[in-house]
Amino acid sequence: MPTENNASPTSADMGLFERYLSVWVAIAIVAGIALGQFAPAVPEVLSRFEYAQVSIPIAVLIWAMIFPMMAQIDFSAIAGVRRQPKGLTITTTVNWLIKPFTMFALAWLFFMVIFRPFIPEELASQYLAGAILLGAAPCTAMVFVWSYLTRGDAAYTLVQVALNDLIMLFAFAPLVVFLLGISNIQVPWDTVILSVVLYIVIPLAAGYFTRKTLIAKYGTEWYDNVFMKRVGPITPIGLIVTLVLLFAFQGDVILNNPLHIVLIAIPLIIQTFLIFFIAYGWAKAWRVPHNIAAPGAMIGASNFFELAVAAAIALFGLQSGAALATVVGVLVEVPLMLALVRIANKTRQHFPENA
Amino acid sequence: MTNMIHIDNAAIAFVQQQGGVVTVRLSPKHGCCGGLASVAVAETQAPNNPEAFQRQVYQGITLWVAPELAAQGLRIGVEGWWKLRHLYVDGAALSAG
Repeated sequence: MPTENNASPTSADMGLFERYLSVWVAIAIVAGIALGQFAPAVPEVLSRFEYAQVSIPIAVLIWAMIFPMMAQIDFSAIAGVRRQPKGLTITTTVNWLIKPFTMFALAWLFFMVIFRPFIPEELASQYLAGAILLGAAPCTAMVFVWSYLTRGDAAYTLVQVALNDLIMLFAFAPLVVFLLGISNIQVPWDTVILSVVLYIVIPLAAGYFTRKTLIAKYGTEWYDNVFMKRVGPITPIGLIVTLVLLFAFQGDVILNNPLHIVLIAIPLIIQTFLIFFIAYGWAKAWRVPHNIAAPGAMIGASNFFELAVAAAIALFGLQSGAALATVVGVLVEVPLMLALVRIANKTRQHFPENA
Repeated sequence: MTNMIHIDNAAIAFVQQQGGVVTVRLSPKHGCCGGLASVAVAETQAPNNPEAFQRQVYQGITLWVAPELAAQGLRIGVEGWWKLRHLYVDGAALSAG
């Protein structure tokens, strides 16, 4: 176990792909726009493959992104909720009772008031919707990496991820419908339910039964070291391919409003820091050990982008401003989270010794 | 050999019911934006590749421990109910994937 004298891991301990995710996302944006402008037949042909208003290529890509994350969730870890009650109280409260509402409030303030002269009203509503989807989907898998970089408690991280995913199954749709409703953005319940079934329930059930079946047949070690080793990297690949496709459809929006990416990023950046400091400050006030406080604050600061992107596409379409807003979240994710990792590691001494 | 992993009494009883063998190893977890971090886990089964593990006998149970976890002062307990009952490992930070 690392001791207090050991140096904390740094961003250099991350792989090349995740460390430079913003660069790959930026390249995907440029590649997607180029595809849409110079080979418009490609997105045009892809858009024809629809069933019940669900784009089949996009649905396949989204499942490719989400299924591996769901397949590694060990729901039996939820049995550990009693071991770190303070940490889990903070995380659960911040993720589900604070974060969605601060995201809504910040996005509304910036898109509907402060940036009103720069963003047409209809587009501003779409960006607000995208921000709402991001706020209702806390991080589910990347938190393992952030927890590692802050020397977080492994067992606690497992428990909080399992608990968070279980709550998300039931809370995501009602939260999204409620917040979109008070924003006067009408989305039919059946469309929301369809997107939750398609992009949460189906991947979650598929992941659960795949995990259960393969572990029963081959054991957990094989599952982790062979199956997940092959399947795990599909998520970031699916993410980048989805972004290329999304921007093939979004080209005109971006080319007409290049500044909008910066405008969308501003409330998202403020929200990331705000949520981190609410959870981290609360943990400090409650004298929660640092190896619980850091991962507990990281999970809410980060987002489950794949779900937000999927829901935005399902509810508003590939060419929507909502989809663009969720992608800006991916664009700023890694630099922001690495900044929070540095803050957490530099403030370690202000917290009680590890649990 | 000095035991560097502590197993509590309830966990020992659980392991004995399950066959008397426990493996402590690193389980890799993939991040959604790439990246990998490994979590220490304990399971009531022998490893697929025993040569890669350190073997200890602890209060009548056989313990297979991944070498990188052997000196971390970990604690193994048991939690959950019925089919969700399982071992957990306390005291471990996440490791590089």
